[in-house]
Amino acid sequence: MNLRPLCLVFSNLLLLLALMLSGCATPSNNPQAEAAEAEDFNDPLEDINRKIFDFNQVVDRNVLVPVAKAYRTVLPDPVRDSLRDFLRNLREPLIFASDALQGEFERAGQTFARFTLNSTLGMAGFIDVAGRWGELPYHEDDFGLTLGVWGVPEGPYVVVPVLGPSTPRDLGGQVAEGFGDPFTRLVTGNPYNLYWIPVLRGGVSGIDQRSRYIETLADIERTSLDFYATIRSLYRQRRAALIRHEKEQNLPPPASFSRNDSPVGPVNRLPQAAMVVEMPTVSEVSR
Amino acid sequence: MMRRVVLTAFVFFVGALAPTILAGAADPAAVINNLGNRALEVLGKNATPGQRVARFHELFREDFDVPGIARFVLGRYWKTATAQQQEEFIKLFEDYIALVYSSQLSAYSGETLKVTGSRADQEGAIVASEIIRPTGAPPVKVEWHLTDQHGTYKIRDVAVDGISMAVTQRSEFASVIQRNGGQVQGLIAMLREKTGSASGR
Repeated sequence: MNLRPLCLVFSNLLLLLALMLSGCATPSNNPQAEAAEAEDFNDPLEDINRKIFDFNQVVDRNVLVPVAKAYRTVLPDPVRDSLRDFLRNLREPLIFASDALQGEFERAGQTFARFTLNSTLGMAGFIDVAGRWGELPYHEDDFGLTLGVWGVPEGPYVVVPVLGPSTPRDLGGQVAEGFGDPFTRLVTGNPYNLYWIPVLRGGVSGIDQRSRYIETLADIERTSLDFYATIRSLYRQRRAALIRHEKEQNLPPPASFSRNDSPVGPVNRLPQAAMVVEMPTVSEVSR
Repeated sequence: MMRRVVLTAFVFFVGALAPTILAGAADPAAVINNLGNRALEVLGKNATPGQRVARFHELFREDFDVPGIARFVLGRYWKTATAQQQEEFIKLFEDYIALVYSSQLSAYSGETLKVTGSRADQEGAIVASEIIRPTGAPPVKVEWHLTDQHGTYKIRDVAVDGISMAVTQRSEFASVIQRNGGQVQGLIAMLREKTGSASGR
């Protein structure tokens, strides 16, 4: 059985739900102030979002972080980095498509060169030959950013169970990626229907990401007055900054940030992985 | 990821270091450059975490436009606060920032700061810089927003990879106030608690 379409339907429903509910925020006795505030946060679903956020935190604390810690302990840094490079390489076709759809042909060319070099000389992507020796650093890109570049408004803030912060625009991008990812099509679109491969890929991506942000996120949570609001702001700002960069000409690609190394849209993203990756305080560095 | 917060902290720390250099300086880029070098000296000298925290706190007060930042992060609620609340908020905010960022300082591991450009803006200047990491990982882009106060540059915001510290805090504080029925006092109480428990360590 193929889980992917199910999950896609699920995220589509969420998206619809979000859009519908955003139209019916509760009225209040101070409409003007409320309106100004609501505009700032653009979070009409805040009550639900906070509950989901809390739930995600529980999952994060009890499942993700322990697993991520074990992962970090067991695998040496070079191995983890190599794994990350491999997972990134699987994403390059989608990044290429995003670059091209945004009219960023230079970046698209770089992505194409990276994918070609790393898939061959780089042993199926396990060694980032292009980035290390070819001065072709990895850059993040995704369909959500593409929609942003095209001028689609981000819409209200949404916290997705297990997947973390998002917006209808970014969810839309992920759905499109879920359908469009050639790697996923390759492994699931055959008689063997190896749906577990994208699932595994997403799981490992999520754990790898989470393992890189354990202390930072803990620090932010510890010092925040309102962790939910902080994450919301960080997510939005980071996405906006990435879109701005996309639009800026003559700037080197923002090489250090990865929004989402995990691949196939919503299905494969593990709890809070999405959130983690959005952190401002995140960098892609090998530690 | 640790790294990034560390760097953010480092950046704040760097900025906090050099009132003397900042005073009357004509070239904001040179100012930040200088800051970087000075900060490295202090960070490199095996100062105890306690010393770093103390120094950080003191220098943040001197070199950041604390009242200006405090006002910005309160946003529309600045006007609804009483003069007394404003005053207390500024003080608590300073303690809070010191708490938030000083805890990261001990993880400093050889980063250096390189100024890559600067331009004037309405309020003063924006200096672009990169934090170069000894690991050879891609540099982190840091933008310093300086305000020109009668010929003295003070830092009013730091943006790391496009994310503004001031904007983040403003959003967080607004949320706290809103959830306390629009009362600034609610935020003040939380800040008191947060900074009070920290100073008791």
